[in-house]
Amino acid sequence: MRTDPDLAADAARGNEAAFAELVRRHQARVRGMARRLTGSASAGDDIAQATFLTAWQKIATYAGGTFSAWICAICWREFLQVRRKTRPEIEFDETAEIIPFQRPSDQQDDRMDLSRALEKLTEAQRVCVVMCVAAGLSHREAAEATGWPLGTVKSHVTRGVEALRKHLAKPEVA
Amino acid sequence: MREEDTFEDLTSLFAAEDRALEAKPFVDEVMGKVRRRTLARKAFLLAVGGAGAVVAALQVPSLLGDWITVDNTVVSAISSAQQQAGLLASTNPLWLGIAAIVGLSLAAVATMERT
Repeated sequence: MRTDPDLAADAARGNEAAFAELVRRHQARVRGMARRLTGSASAGDDIAQATFLTAWQKIATYAGGTFSAWICAICWREFLQVRRKTRPEIEFDETAEIIPFQRPSDQQDDRMDLSRALEKLTEAQRVCVVMCVAAGLSHREAAEATGWPLGTVKSHVTRGVEALRKHLAKPEVA
Repeated sequence: MREEDTFEDLTSLFAAEDRALEAKPFVDEVMGKVRRRTLARKAFLLAVGGAGAVVAALQVPSLLGDWITVDNTVVSAISSAQQQAGLLASTNPLWLGIAAIVGLSLAAVATMERT
């Protein structure tokens, strides 16, 4: 199987098939990240699309390293841009979160629990948990992507995971 | 051990959610937009390049006219220089020798600089 840097190098030479393979490989991570950051499936997918379009334009600037960290950093910047412009709309778009995405019902329950638990974190904790726990970035990669100090990211992850576990363990009160 | 291994249970929960997302429609939509952007960019470049080529083609007659003027100037300068050199050689052949030595020296310097 071809590595991400190989595919990125081909994509930088204009090979659309190579870029399509990169999109296929990383779409779940990026969409998951964007959906969790926005709290909305539709807004999240829009950001994920914008992320890959930006990645296509800037693929020549990818200088090796973990491709997932590179693409997640783009996703974070796209999220910030959208949030600056449309924050009220994202907050208002609460219905998108409960639209089912053809998942089995038991996973749907897990998802709702996770979504609700994530919503209860502070924004900084949510961002760090989404990046480091859900998207699988290292603390250092998340710190580089967000521009936050490494110690701050570690602290938010630790506290966020703790809070997330606490919320998941508690039975949901309607 | 990576730091994030301590929350493997949560990572697997998130990963299960992400795996449930259907890839094909999303990938198709993204690649459709990529292709449309590429086509639009090519069309823009072709249009700008074509417009440039048309403008350049319209300038060709004027450019040729200017070139012929320059060419005539150069030709007249060369023939004038030949006449003056002949005149100079007929009055004092030493000048031709000096010019030849200067020319050879310049050629030698130029050759040495290239290597």
